[in-house]
Amino acid sequence: MTDALNDLGDHIRSSEAVADLVKRYEVKHGELTVYAERDGIVKLAKFLKDDNQCVFETLIDICGVDWPERSQRFDVVYHFLSMRLNQRIRIKIKTDEATPVPSLVDLHPSANWFEREAFDMYGIRFAGHPDMRRILTDYGFEGYPLRKDFPLTGFTQVRYDDLEKRVVNEPVELVQEYRNFDFLSPWEGMTKELPGDEKAGEEPSNG
Amino acid sequence: MADDFKPYALGAGRAGVEGGHDVRADDPFFAGLSDHLADKGFFTARADDLIAWARTGSLMWMTFGLACCAVEMMQAGNPRYDLERFGMAPRGSPRQSDVMIVAGTLTNKMAPALRRVYDQMPEPRYVVSMGSCANGGGYYHYSYSVVRGCDRIVPVDIYIPGCPPTAEALVYGMLQLQKKIRREGSIER
Amino acid sequence: MADDATPIDERKFTLNFGPQHPAAHGVLRMIMDLDGEVIERIDSHVGLLHRGTEKLLEYKTYLQGLPYFDRLDYVAPMNQEHAWCLAIERLLGIEVPRRAKFIRVLYSEMGRILSHMLNITTQAMDVGALAPITWGFEEREKLMGFYERASGSRMHSAYFRPGGVHQDLPQALIDDIMVFCEEFPEKLAHIEGLISENRIFKQRNVDIGVVDEKTIMEWGFSGVMVRGSGLPWDLRRSQPYEIYDEIPGEVFEVVVGNNGDNYDRYVVRMEEMLIANDIMKWCIENMPAGEVLLAGTKVSPPRRGDMKRSMEALIHHFKLYTEGFHVPEGEVYAAVEAPKGEFGVYLVSDGSNRPYRAKIRAPGYPHLAAMDHLCKGHMLADVSAILGSLDIVFGEIDR
Repeated sequence: MTDALNDLGDHIRSSEAVADLVKRYEVKHGELTVYAERDGIVKLAKFLKDDNQCVFETLIDICGVDWPERSQRFDVVYHFLSMRLNQRIRIKIKTDEATPVPSLVDLHPSANWFEREAFDMYGIRFAGHPDMRRILTDYGFEGYPLRKDFPLTGFTQVRYDDLEKRVVNEPVELVQEYRNFDFLSPWEGMTKELPGDEKAGEEPSNG
Repeated sequence: MADDFKPYALGAGRAGVEGGHDVRADDPFFAGLSDHLADKGFFTARADDLIAWARTGSLMWMTFGLACCAVEMMQAGNPRYDLERFGMAPRGSPRQSDVMIVAGTLTNKMAPALRRVYDQMPEPRYVVSMGSCANGGGYYHYSYSVVRGCDRIVPVDIYIPGCPPTAEALVYGMLQLQKKIRREGSIER
Repeated sequence: MADDATPIDERKFTLNFGPQHPAAHGVLRMIMDLDGEVIERIDSHVGLLHRGTEKLLEYKTYLQGLPYFDRLDYVAPMNQEHAWCLAIERLLGIEVPRRAKFIRVLYSEMGRILSHMLNITTQAMDVGALAPITWGFEEREKLMGFYERASGSRMHSAYFRPGGVHQDLPQALIDDIMVFCEEFPEKLAHIEGLISENRIFKQRNVDIGVVDEKTIMEWGFSGVMVRGSGLPWDLRRSQPYEIYDEIPGEVFEVVVGNNGDNYDRYVVRMEEMLIANDIMKWCIENMPAGEVLLAGTKVSPPRRGDMKRSMEALIHHFKLYTEGFHVPEGEVYAAVEAPKGEFGVYLVSDGSNRPYRAKIRAPGYPHLAAMDHLCKGHMLADVSAILGSLDIVFGEIDR
């Protein structure tokens, strides 16, 4: 399994058409991840689709991951599946808030909604997307909810206003804050060995 | 037996039920009612009792299935629990229904639609909030996109706890609603 | 003559479907551009049940996040938990006890029957057959009883845990499931007798919503949507997890359709229910004895008996349910063959007790995205038939 994936990774990296687009690849947990250049994603996806050792015809998923401390804060992660050869691949590219990622819609129509979702959740822009609207969040929603700096409870909540006879938006007001226990500080996380476990092998002291 | 019967006993019988009285088929009340009807061919009752009886007897519920609770709501409507034996039938349109069961998580995006549906329902109308999410947000209380209780949007008559409440709990909740309608006893709502 | 002279544009209009509609299987709003009664374009508005699951998951420990998966595809709750557990287990590098694997498969297949049963009967209702639902839901009721007896809850069970399943099944429950499995094919035959040869059902479904191979690849279909068109693609066979590779071919074979229309998908679902029933039987017959939750690790709670005697066990229990366990840094994509298709979880861990990012890949999402493509050129009445056949549940699509 791992060997086959390593071969596939080598094959992709050594293929002339995309060699300069692939930074590196790694195989972990039985999965192949290819780190690629952002601007070459369409070319790479086309290669993966057409090459007879890849045949990644099905786009499984596109999603973003936010790493706020990085200058290129977003990872855009693509998952592809080849039903013919029964293999999977993950492509990762990096971008930031301002730089758009080339859209895959022409190659994989299913990318349409996935890219809209990534835009909705993270504000990642996709160049060449025909219909860049929000998809999951409320009409008129502001902000990008899955960014790490977006609060869990958001900024607004809704209520029916009896006087105005309509549902109105207003700032969030919680009766009780979300109780976010930070277990990590006093306990320093859970170690492999529980406190007291080291005594298990010792002779009981007669005292 | 017939001497005990009061012409306005329809309401009195109701009080007996509420007091925890066991209503059996051979209850004197029914025997009296039957005799009275055979004797006179009619009986009288207070108009509001009659109206309350009519209201409780045919609660057409609006299927506002939003999320998980909708499955339990469907189970309650189907043969095992059979809400129809209480005269409650599912309706697809708000204009034909008396009670709306808000079954599931109400999100910010859905809230205006919920209110619009509620506004279309004819009076008297009742709302049953089914499940934790509709009651107060439940498991999704702290989410940025969830209304923390559907009572922020529509007035609620009965809250049914559970995640999801079992179909049995929903049936019980609906019976509680009937009880509430009887107790209110006023035509004006 | 006057009619012919009317410009074509006057025949066009826009129809708003939903968000509250009995045939929408939840909360879907569709803006349909019609030319007379023919669909020209469908713009689906989803997100009316968007509850922010992925955000909430980042704020809860792995174990606290598990029940969110029940509430995604609430028609077959345990199949979703399965993907989440597999992802965590893969990152932790732990192997589930053998008995737990059998129980997981048993309950996953039960979920498949639950889901297909609801889909078939409600789809039949959408096209006018009101009786099947009353029979089908009685079978669902029995299965929900089995859920309750295993986990304490009829629907949202939180039964699959990283490292196994929460509690062992009592023998009486296993016997009752076996009785159900014996009776089920006959019950299913009754329902099939109502629908399969029904003239109206056939008229509404044969050659409607045809999915060809190109559509499957381009739109990222999975599950029954693929198998209905003749491609034998099933993750349980192609990329087996748990004990699916051990199930003999005569018990579990991948069902495929021919034409890829609504009717073929209905037939595939019907057959899959029978096969799921056979797999359940096989699991019960071959179920080994033993542990059901990985003992002696940091991911599972100690046995109650140990907690009465051992202070360490008590501390471990407290720590597990407050702080939770830590998952090593890394990323993993775990997919299961849920009743609706490939349900995947992409999990990124930063080594803490909470997921850094959990992306849920719902099978219904790309299916619904293709709605515009599938309905183009069909009549308005076919929309609800196709929608029912896609097997849409909004819990997982909107998340």
